[in-house]
Amino acid sequence: MGDSRLRVGLYLSGTVVGLVLLLGVIAPFVPYDPADAVDYDQLLQAPGMGHIFGTDGQGRDVAMRLLKGTEAFFLPGLMAAALATVFGALCGAVSGYAGGWLRGGVLGTMQLIDTLPRLVFIILVCTILNPSIYLIAFVAAVLFVPSIATVIRRRVEALGSEDYILAHVAHGFRPVRILLYHILWLQCRPLLIRQATYVFGYVLFVEVALSYLGDYGVQEPDPSWGNMVAQARGLRGVSAWPWAVPAVAIVVTIAGFLAFGNLLARADEEEVR
Amino acid sequence: MSPLLSVEDLVIEFDTARGRRRVVDRVSFDLAPGEVLGILGESGSGKTMTTMAVLGLVAGEPGVMGGSITLRDGDDEIGLLSDLEQVISRKGKRVSKNCRKWRRMVHARMRPLWGRMMTAVFQNPRHSLDPLMTVGAQVEESIALALPDLTAAQRGEKAVDWLDRVQMNEPGRVHGSYPHELSGGMCQRAMIAVALARRPKLLIADEPTTGLDTTVRAEIVELFRALLEEERRSMMYISHDIREVLYLADRVIVMKGGRVVETETAENLRLGRGQRADYTAMLLSAADLPSGAAA
Repeated sequence: MGDSRLRVGLYLSGTVVGLVLLLGVIAPFVPYDPADAVDYDQLLQAPGMGHIFGTDGQGRDVAMRLLKGTEAFFLPGLMAAALATVFGALCGAVSGYAGGWLRGGVLGTMQLIDTLPRLVFIILVCTILNPSIYLIAFVAAVLFVPSIATVIRRRVEALGSEDYILAHVAHGFRPVRILLYHILWLQCRPLLIRQATYVFGYVLFVEVALSYLGDYGVQEPDPSWGNMVAQARGLRGVSAWPWAVPAVAIVVTIAGFLAFGNLLARADEEEVR
Repeated sequence: MSPLLSVEDLVIEFDTARGRRRVVDRVSFDLAPGEVLGILGESGSGKTMTTMAVLGLVAGEPGVMGGSITLRDGDDEIGLLSDLEQVISRKGKRVSKNCRKWRRMVHARMRPLWGRMMTAVFQNPRHSLDPLMTVGAQVEESIALALPDLTAAQRGEKAVDWLDRVQMNEPGRVHGSYPHELSGGMCQRAMIAVALARRPKLLIADEPTTGLDTTVRAEIVELFRALLEEERRSMMYISHDIREVLYLADRVIVMKGGRVVETETAENLRLGRGQRADYTAMLLSAADLPSGAAA
């Protein structure tokens, strides 16, 4: 990819990511009572000065619900991305560097987790335990650990025989530092960035899917992007704004995060080269 | 004076598709404190494997299968291969080794010795430096291990000083450069700085001029000479270039086919004194040096 296309892609996807992060940070501080927001005098208003994305079938401001809807996935998404990345990196590093029973144990556990179908398993956990978005995020993080660990393990194994790693060992650099700093931080950072944004996008997708389906996600009247689309399902042909705005937000956010992760990782790799 | 390093009857073997192959066959030598030992031989003669065994970094299986390597750390004698028999089992003619256990044992024994007692400068300098760290940061990392009490600023100054000592032009600029921004010769100078900043008692230079231009090779050899004159230290200098070895070494061992065919002082080899093994005589005559009398 050319430098200029990479830069443009990074700016565009970075803008989406930045905007979502901004919304996610300010949303908890914006006062909003979903029960009070119903206004039957403002049903299905088109976008205008008072309501920049119009209103839904109960007269609630779509923009405000879009903003408050970020609370449903923002912190859980960040938490899942951080957990999956940290544990995936550690499991990958240990299984790539260590030998014997430790490697066997980690690899076996990873293979076991990897056999679980992600969405089905999350729904199963929600039916057994009290469902919450944090539980969903935690389970999603655990389910993503094996795929991250596999990517990291392959990289660690490949780097283990590199001359400069051998030289580090001969110079007496500590194995933990070689593994965590020289291999994981310096060499695997692009991979981890890519995987972290993927996990964040996945948590948003799961939250939207579960909220859309209704039973395990965020319940009305609390807003989430998924239940906003679900709520506006019956308005097709009457007004597009109540479902089109959250639907576009979902697609743009997931695509933006995935693109940003990929492009940032590629930029990092190109800088390395 | 007792030697800093003693290698006795070292045997290294590797399993290949055609069976087990012995690549180092009962190699023995000593290295006195402050001595420069040259190890000379063609590719595949076992010189690099011998030095990797001293470093405890033999890759491939089964690897070291016999002999002893003794390192003297002050009054302590450390047998680097003392537990070897524990991991070797013999059933009739079949000799096997628990390589994973051996690797763990070697690493545990070598960890306090790597860097402090010995370190190495490898061939292919571009690949021996971390491509994602500046040269200065890599020298500083060595300094931090050798002198842990220094502040970050002091480490930075010391790193620039080391880059100056390895005769780097513009050491301040090189400090902030990445390896890919430097020439092969500059990378090797940086590698020497990283190794020496660790303050090892024994420096192992494994074909440090391989792959470099002729003029750069001469500069690197001259740099080693200058560094040895500045501060006398024990060194093993491995090369297949007899001129480099004779220029730097006090004593030379010549290897061929995994065996030591001759051990001689560099001076005697330079002056063509005494009787020579056929292979050494051939190397000397190929380099247009007096080859002495054949053995």
